[in-house]
Amino acid sequence: MDIFNPFVIALIAAALYMAWNIGANDLANAMGTSVGSGALSLKQVILIAAVFEFCGAVFFGERVASTIANNIVPIEHIKVIDSHLVVVGMLAAILAAGFWVTLTTFYNLPVSTTHSIVGAVLGFGLVAAYHGIIPYNDIHWYVLFKIAASWLVSPLLGALIAYLLFMMVSYFILQRTDNIFAIEKKFIVFQTMTACFMAFAHGSNDVANAIGPLYAGLNVLGMNGVQVPTWIMVVGGFGMVLGLATWGYKVIQTIGSKITELTPTRGFCAEFATASVVLLHSYSSLPISTTHTLVGSVIGVGLAGGLAAVDLSVIGKIAVSWIITVPVAALTSALIFTGFMGIGI
Amino acid sequence: MKKREKREYIRSVLSIFAKSPFRPLHVHATKGGDAVRKLSEELSAYFACDTSTVLQLNKEIDILEHEADVIKQTIRAELSSTIMLPVHADDLLNFLKPQDSISDECQDVAYWLTLRSCQVPKELEEGLRELMSRTLATVEMYELLVDTLGELLESSFGKKDVNETLKLVIKVEEMEHQVDIIEKQVMKQIFEKEELLGGGGVYFFLELTKSIGRIADHTESAADRLRSMVLRR
Repeated sequence: MDIFNPFVIALIAAALYMAWNIGANDLANAMGTSVGSGALSLKQVILIAAVFEFCGAVFFGERVASTIANNIVPIEHIKVIDSHLVVVGMLAAILAAGFWVTLTTFYNLPVSTTHSIVGAVLGFGLVAAYHGIIPYNDIHWYVLFKIAASWLVSPLLGALIAYLLFMMVSYFILQRTDNIFAIEKKFIVFQTMTACFMAFAHGSNDVANAIGPLYAGLNVLGMNGVQVPTWIMVVGGFGMVLGLATWGYKVIQTIGSKITELTPTRGFCAEFATASVVLLHSYSSLPISTTHTLVGSVIGVGLAGGLAAVDLSVIGKIAVSWIITVPVAALTSALIFTGFMGIGI
Repeated sequence: MKKREKREYIRSVLSIFAKSPFRPLHVHATKGGDAVRKLSEELSAYFACDTSTVLQLNKEIDILEHEADVIKQTIRAELSSTIMLPVHADDLLNFLKPQDSISDECQDVAYWLTLRSCQVPKELEEGLRELMSRTLATVEMYELLVDTLGELLESSFGKKDVNETLKLVIKVEEMEHQVDIIEKQVMKQIFEKEELLGGGGVYFFLELTKSIGRIADHTESAADRLRSMVLRR
């Protein structure tokens, strides 16, 4: 593989941009709850997030990454027919997802980077099928169905776990103590641990959104092996930590200053539930949205009577962003891909 | 020209956390308590024939009542149907209403005191002072009751804290009952002084007595509905 190949540079740059976005917003959302509850200071959170996000990405990110790289669209099949198509297609997919994420971030829409990248990769597959390069049946519809189902299941599972967890904390601890303040103080330790868990889980699932297509593209450009090489995971982890350090800290600050209702006991339940669900999905090789799972978990704590006020209108917004994101990302990706091919790239 | 809203490059799920209505509720209760404390001072000034203080306190109570109204309106405006609370929103609004009446009624009494010159028979003064101080005590007990809401939320309505709150509700109810007894006695005294007071005087003091009594009534009603809110969740 030639590092100075313009396609390699473009792919890595696009993947880094995507990773930066994930670190700047998604990771910040996941970590903001720890600052909001007062468990950790901004500096501590950033340090924890950087270390564990990186570890999660590098040591446990490979499963989801290979799902996005190989198991949605049969990259191996297309590679045999025309390897150049794969490179351009993956570049188009990252660009399309990055564009959609950038646009929606400016409008503060709760769009998931995961949904964007899955839609974008699918868009490439559909164009390939449209041109008869692969039959439509070759697209792994069953995997896509499993992924879509996991997007529905993950927030619900987060809500259920958070609900049960807070019920237990409430029944066994909060209702039996005379000094709630002391309990909350003790939970700061637990919350510090769940913050690490959260960052690790997030890294393991979301790194794939940036480096899944990168890997697929580089694989074609002469890298061998089915395993995703570690250095690619390092690129993803580095990009996300960079996003956190250059922009995400502001987002964490904003979130932390506004979420004051979330005390350490509540924050612990919401984060533990979210991180467990996300890590479970990383293990199952399914790309899900950490942010949406976190929303589900917060609602779970609210349902258990743990929060003074929860605004459920965000559910509607998430549902809409869900339905819109996949087709829009797919279409954008298809258009960019067709455009690239049209001008002979 | 309308200033264009600055767009931040932030995509967050902040909006899931709604503003808690419980803190403003607490502030609102304190406004009612402050109004009653000022009313008690105003009544003393009235008995001392200190007209300027009466007028001054009447103004201050007006301001407190208005502030309470604004808080009430804000709480109502922010409780859209998508907000999930640990209690029923209807119950919360039901209890806000009588709590708001405390400062409303205070405002009426405060103004009423500015309407008539101060000629109060000694016996009546004693009765009215007693009525006022017991009403104030009822309202202050109620403030303690509202204070416990914060702990209830923190323990997510633990049994111990709920029982604590329910005990205070009963205390407020008992104190209101005492106010009722004194209110009846004062009304009786007013008619005993009928000839001395004249028709206008009887009307003035009767209305004053009933109005102060109503402050305690509203307080009791608010406490009662707070209990429903806590138990029905």
